[in-house]
Amino acid sequence: MTVESDRGTYRLVARREFLERARDRSFLISTAITLLVLVGFIVGTSLLNKGTRFDLGVVGADARATAEQVVDAGKALGFEVTVRDYPSEQQAEPAVRSGSADAVLVGSTEVIVKSQPPQQLLAAIQSVSTKERAREALERTDLPPDRIDQVLNVQPLPVRALEPVDERRRQSSVVAFIGVLALYGQLFAYGYWVASGVVEEKASRVVEVLLATIRPTQLLRGKILGIGSLGLCQLMVIGGAGLAASAAVGSLRFPAGALSAIGIVLIWFVIGFFFYSALFAVAGSIVPRQEDLQATMTPLTILIIASFFIGVAAVQDPSSTLATVASYLPFSAPLVMPTRIALGDIALWQALLSAAISIGATFALIPVATRVYSRAMLRTGRVRIREVLRVEG
Amino acid sequence: MLELIDLSRRFGDVVALDSVSFSVAEDEMVGFVGPNGAGKTTAMRIALGVLEPDRGEVRWRGKLVDQRVRRRFGYMPEERGLYPKMRVLDQLVYLARLHGLARGDAATESLRMLDLLGVAGRVRDRTEALSLGNQQRVQLAAALVHRPEVLVLDEPFSGLDPVGVDVLSGVLRERAEAGVPALFSSHQLDLVERLCESVVLINRGRIVAAGRIADLRSRDHRRLVRVEILGAAPGWYATLSGARVVDRFPDGAILELSDSLRERDVLDAARTAGDVRHFSVVQPSLSEIFREAVRS
Repeated sequence: MTVESDRGTYRLVARREFLERARDRSFLISTAITLLVLVGFIVGTSLLNKGTRFDLGVVGADARATAEQVVDAGKALGFEVTVRDYPSEQQAEPAVRSGSADAVLVGSTEVIVKSQPPQQLLAAIQSVSTKERAREALERTDLPPDRIDQVLNVQPLPVRALEPVDERRRQSSVVAFIGVLALYGQLFAYGYWVASGVVEEKASRVVEVLLATIRPTQLLRGKILGIGSLGLCQLMVIGGAGLAASAAVGSLRFPAGALSAIGIVLIWFVIGFFFYSALFAVAGSIVPRQEDLQATMTPLTILIIASFFIGVAAVQDPSSTLATVASYLPFSAPLVMPTRIALGDIALWQALLSAAISIGATFALIPVATRVYSRAMLRTGRVRIREVLRVEG
Repeated sequence: MLELIDLSRRFGDVVALDSVSFSVAEDEMVGFVGPNGAGKTTAMRIALGVLEPDRGEVRWRGKLVDQRVRRRFGYMPEERGLYPKMRVLDQLVYLARLHGLARGDAATESLRMLDLLGVAGRVRDRTEALSLGNQQRVQLAAALVHRPEVLVLDEPFSGLDPVGVDVLSGVLRERAEAGVPALFSSHQLDLVERLCESVVLINRGRIVAAGRIADLRSRDHRRLVRVEILGAAPGWYATLSGARVVDRFPDGAILELSDSLRERDVLDAARTAGDVRHFSVVQPSLSEIFREAVRS
């Protein structure tokens, strides 16, 4: 029979971790719910924010001509007007009553609305119609046509905003916030899975069967890789669905920005997950039962939650002292740095430095974590970390 | 040959193993016998590399046992352990693959083992949904699924019903005939006597006797008689000088006779005491050999 290589061993472990969890019904359901909420949110907001549109009915050629100018005026004011012809006033009225037309312009004499007139549309109609009637009045005087144009085509007053809205930045902030939220949820959920997976093996004593065959390092490495890959896949599915939904409803004005934001989230998930998973594995290996896990996980929970809040605050103020410092600390960088990158507040070298610090810290942490894990796994009862680090063998 | 050579191990102040050495030949089924806390589990865990000895080594076919060699061992720990939520077949296939079987072989062997142990109907169930007895069978299947070269089973019979005991006995015999040696610990000495040709007796971390049961018996020069009397007063043998009770059971006992005491004197005393239903000269059983070894 074929014998798997050593290298194959941790892959087998990783494969089990991935498949057993991916097949789990509660995992599938929670992923489906996340997708539904996300897509619902994107579609919902796009429906709410959909540019204002009006349906304007017209009766007669004069009305038609006016309506075309209303369409132009609407464009300038940021709303869309669709024009539809009605043969007579009697036929137009039911359309207004039923709401299929917001207003009907009858010749150049009258505007029919249902009850509350749509103010923006009405203002545009009034302005166009006032101008037209002014032109007609002026044409009856001796003024030459170019003077009339001069009088009528006055430029609107320029507007100076004291706090202009940067649309690109606004969207980046939204994306960054969603990114921090996703990273927080993902690091928490998958870190917890590592810890509870470790406890499961210890509490069920299957670890003795496993460690009679494979080394503790292979078991730990396989577990972290398997669970991490699942987390990464889930993020990619969720990110892809979000991107697809946004593209479908056309709410994404800067698709390149969103795409790179998803990339940043994925990269920082990997960095953050490896760092935290080593700690979560230790938290799991030193307790005998699932019930005791909460206690050893608390310090990690606090770290992640605190980093999350700093990350959220960084969406508002990405260059505060707190955000700047936190974006270089290994435990908070995965939740703060992505925001600062997405908001374009930092140079590439700063992002790379922060990533290097986190990765370096992880590499320093792994041997210690493996040591504690290896020694704690076959012990019973609550294990003290200092004790297992000190003891030989 | 599986050799445990000069193994010593302490836990704090407790000496669990003290220079323990014994071996299991390639075609042998060896019973590992001793009271609770004697060091059986510690020795087996060291053989499987789950525990490090303070001193000594383990060899299989002359080679030091490392992780690669150990993958060809079959092990059943005293504290049973399987993934509770994993499906029975998936679990066995996974463990078989960890032991180095290719995917196809792993599936075939898993199904074969589950069928052999009578749990083939439960392959799609989660392990935790099985009764404890059936979980035990799956645990055995896990120790056997990769066609190991040697078996180390810690109390494999405990928790099995009589049918399970028969099934496991059959599987172990069949494996031994196929040249797969087994070392298994047990408290059921009659079972060990029935299954094994050889035993290793351990007490307080030391080997007190080891070898073929027949040899241990022939080395035991005690003269034993088994007497069963209906309605005898307790202590009826008190009048016999030179008789010592080795074992006692309802309406009977096994007596060890001193050189001066003749069998017929015992029989006479027994007939005086009541209705003799049984009288025979017997060979020492494993438990008597064990008691004797511990006593000396």
